[in-house]
Amino acid sequence: MGNKQTIFTDEQLDAYQDCTFFTRKEILRLHARYHELAPHLVPMDYTNEPDCKLPLALIVNMPELKENPFRNRIVESFSEDGMGNLSFNEFVDMFSVLSEMAPRELKAIYAFKIYDYNVDNYLCKEDLKKTLNKLTKEELTPEEVDLVCDKTIEEADLDGDNKLSYSDFENMITRAPDFLSTFHIRI
Amino acid sequence: MANILLSEASGTACPGELPSLRLRRTWSNQNYSQFNWTSHSPDNAEEERTEEGDTDWDLREKPLTMALKRAAWQVQHSQAPVVSNKDSWKRKKTKTFRKVKNNSRELLYVLSLWRKSLQKIGGNFGGGVQSYFVFLRFLVVLNFVSFLLIAAFVLIPSIVFRSVESSYTNSTGPEGCRKYEPHPPGLVLFYNYFLDLLSGTGFMEYSYLFYGYYSNTMVEDRDFSYNIPLAYLFTALFYFGFCLLCIILRMGRAVRVAIATGGGDVGNYSMIVFTGWDYSCLGDQATKLKQKNIHYRLQVDLEEQRIKRKAAALTLCEKITLYSLRVLMGILSLGLICSAFICIGLATNFSQENSDKEGILGLILEYLPSIVITTGNFLVPLLCDQIAKVEKYSPSNTVILALLRAVVLRLLSLVVLLYTLWNQITCGGDNKSEECNLCQYNHKDYPCWETRVGQEMYKLTLFDVLIHFALLILVEFPRRIVVDHSSSKLARWLGRQEFVVPANVLLLVYGQTVVWTGALFCPLLPLINTIKFICLFYFKKITLFYNCQPAHKTFRSTNSAFFFLLVLFIGWCWATAVMVYSLAVIHPSFSCGPFRFFRTMWSIIPTSFYSLHQSSQEFLFFVGSQAFLIPVFVLAVVGLCYFISLSAVYGNSVALMRLQLKREGRDKQFLVKQIEELSKKLHIPTHNTTVQN
Repeated sequence: MGNKQTIFTDEQLDAYQDCTFFTRKEILRLHARYHELAPHLVPMDYTNEPDCKLPLALIVNMPELKENPFRNRIVESFSEDGMGNLSFNEFVDMFSVLSEMAPRELKAIYAFKIYDYNVDNYLCKEDLKKTLNKLTKEELTPEEVDLVCDKTIEEADLDGDNKLSYSDFENMITRAPDFLSTFHIRI
Repeated sequence: MANILLSEASGTACPGELPSLRLRRTWSNQNYSQFNWTSHSPDNAEEERTEEGDTDWDLREKPLTMALKRAAWQVQHSQAPVVSNKDSWKRKKTKTFRKVKNNSRELLYVLSLWRKSLQKIGGNFGGGVQSYFVFLRFLVVLNFVSFLLIAAFVLIPSIVFRSVESSYTNSTGPEGCRKYEPHPPGLVLFYNYFLDLLSGTGFMEYSYLFYGYYSNTMVEDRDFSYNIPLAYLFTALFYFGFCLLCIILRMGRAVRVAIATGGGDVGNYSMIVFTGWDYSCLGDQATKLKQKNIHYRLQVDLEEQRIKRKAAALTLCEKITLYSLRVLMGILSLGLICSAFICIGLATNFSQENSDKEGILGLILEYLPSIVITTGNFLVPLLCDQIAKVEKYSPSNTVILALLRAVVLRLLSLVVLLYTLWNQITCGGDNKSEECNLCQYNHKDYPCWETRVGQEMYKLTLFDVLIHFALLILVEFPRRIVVDHSSSKLARWLGRQEFVVPANVLLLVYGQTVVWTGALFCPLLPLINTIKFICLFYFKKITLFYNCQPAHKTFRSTNSAFFFLLVLFIGWCWATAVMVYSLAVIHPSFSCGPFRFFRTMWSIIPTSFYSLHQSSQEFLFFVGSQAFLIPVFVLAVVGLCYFISLSAVYGNSVALMRLQLKREGRDKQFLVKQIEELSKKLHIPTHNTTVQN
């Protein structure tokens, strides 16, 4: 297209473009953001796929994530090792899912992962309590927290096992009109 | 065994769903090396069953890690295409289509107006306030495009053909009706220019701003003819049609979201917990406020539950008193609104009767209707809020009721104003009365009544923007200064101002309705409105960031878009009614304007119709005849029935599928328990067979 960038090969950019919801310019911009998180660690030349991972502590300091109460869980859900260390692939993947072009189903899958604190593929009452406390910064009384968690499970649980499986969660999310606009980070 | 179950369960879904369900299962097993490549190659028989053009496996929507996706992409692209010419052509087509879409998306992104400001507002104040500014932007663009339309077809030809003599010289009106002196004789003082600017009289009255300046020129060249009155009429009609189209398109988008999500308040708590947090929230202050906001919403819900329980526990006697109190308060609020209307009518009458006063007093008298409307729209909702405290409805019902009252008040004030004007102009519709006998309208007070109506609308628009500016300078900034720097009880009780979205939206809708009503009589009003709304955007943005704190009570942004457009649509309907009445019933002025020689404004269409070519006339007659219209009507009814039954079928299948989901969940539980019992009986050590999905 005429831009003489040497960070990625054309083939790599095509692959990124097909695998995410970003255009070439946005991918290059993302690389610049990734690079400025740790200029000494991140190489400018990605043509030979360097194996470089940034730790959780650096990623959650980004201005887009800094104030989000779920920032740790977000980064952990997208990291392959589950500890929050993101390579550039995972970094791009994270912002692609959180962009406004991602479809509802894809966002629902990752939202479920984020709220599942104990990673057992169910949203049990403990997960909900942690979510609620993060949401309200622990300003609700324990009885209120209990009440809200009970009501939430009561509303969304379809198969009656007192915890929310992925299909329960997805069924509830498809009826939430705000989900697409709130589960969205602009970068 | 669980796998067999799942594949059977997913077999009932449509074919396109199969791959994604399988993928989710493999993903949830957290064991990526088990990913089955062969079942997802594009030549798979199942893929061929999917819809046309979907043979390209869309990698972006798969929940795999990036490394896997890129590996899959490599596989896709390194495979020698053993596909037919048709398939490869289709794939190329979808690829180029996607490239074009991406490029146009980038272009729109760069060109979109005020994008950064809207982002900042949304991040700091939430979706509800952002939706107000998005609505404002929509109105700015709508008004600007309308102005371009009017300029192209009415203004520029009028300027170009100004020197051409008017072709209709046969005057059919009585002599007395044709007197019109927009320029009063004698010396004009300098400060009169300023007064004239504000009230649309004097040098502004006889200008392109108002209807009265346009003449009924009909240019006929060798092969070019332009009929300005016809152009004026058609532009007005097309302008209304265009605005209706824009409103309906935007409403369609909002309604589709509402229908797709079931449109209900089902799952209130789960909605708040899982979708309450706005991930695009920026800044430390904003997140703290967001947390307080969610806390407040949950408390409101818990409070509503308590109120419901209390209401259910009322005794009969208490219920009767409550309901009679509500009826009484309803009558009281209705009385307040009607008294506001009476005041507006009186003010308009008074202002019209004393319209010949000079100087500052004259200016105030001219603006009297606007002043009374604004004061009424400020006081009456305040009083109704106090009344609502006595009525003791639940919080959500209170909000809805307050909104309804405000909408009725705003839109009907305009109705009252126009009715009073109509009364004066047409002597109450009585053509035989003394003043209206000669020209069928009150020619003494209104030699050019269209210009006068246009002037009233112009004054309303101007007053609106002046009042906003005055409020900004004189009320909002001082309030913030007082609240921030003094610690008195009053300051603490007053608190910083909150940006109340519904009231502001009603102001916008009111302004736009005024413009629509006046566009026929004041063609440049859309341009003035564009400038007004642009100024309003910056005023409101400044006040938002410097003077306001985010509201504790939220306004749901998705439902609200539809509500704004609905109120706008009601305003549009009213403006259309006014336009149709002016076109078809009232006699145009004899002394000014492009329609001065016609019986009604509409009668130019039959006149020009007969000057068309004979075959065009016959074609148009055919289109308007019963032989054509009745079959078209029958077809439209059939189409409507089809779509209604289709949507009913879809609704039914959605409900059935939901029921099926529930049943499958219970079946899974039952079967898992069976497996566990069986394995215990046979003493087979099983790994964790709990069903993952």
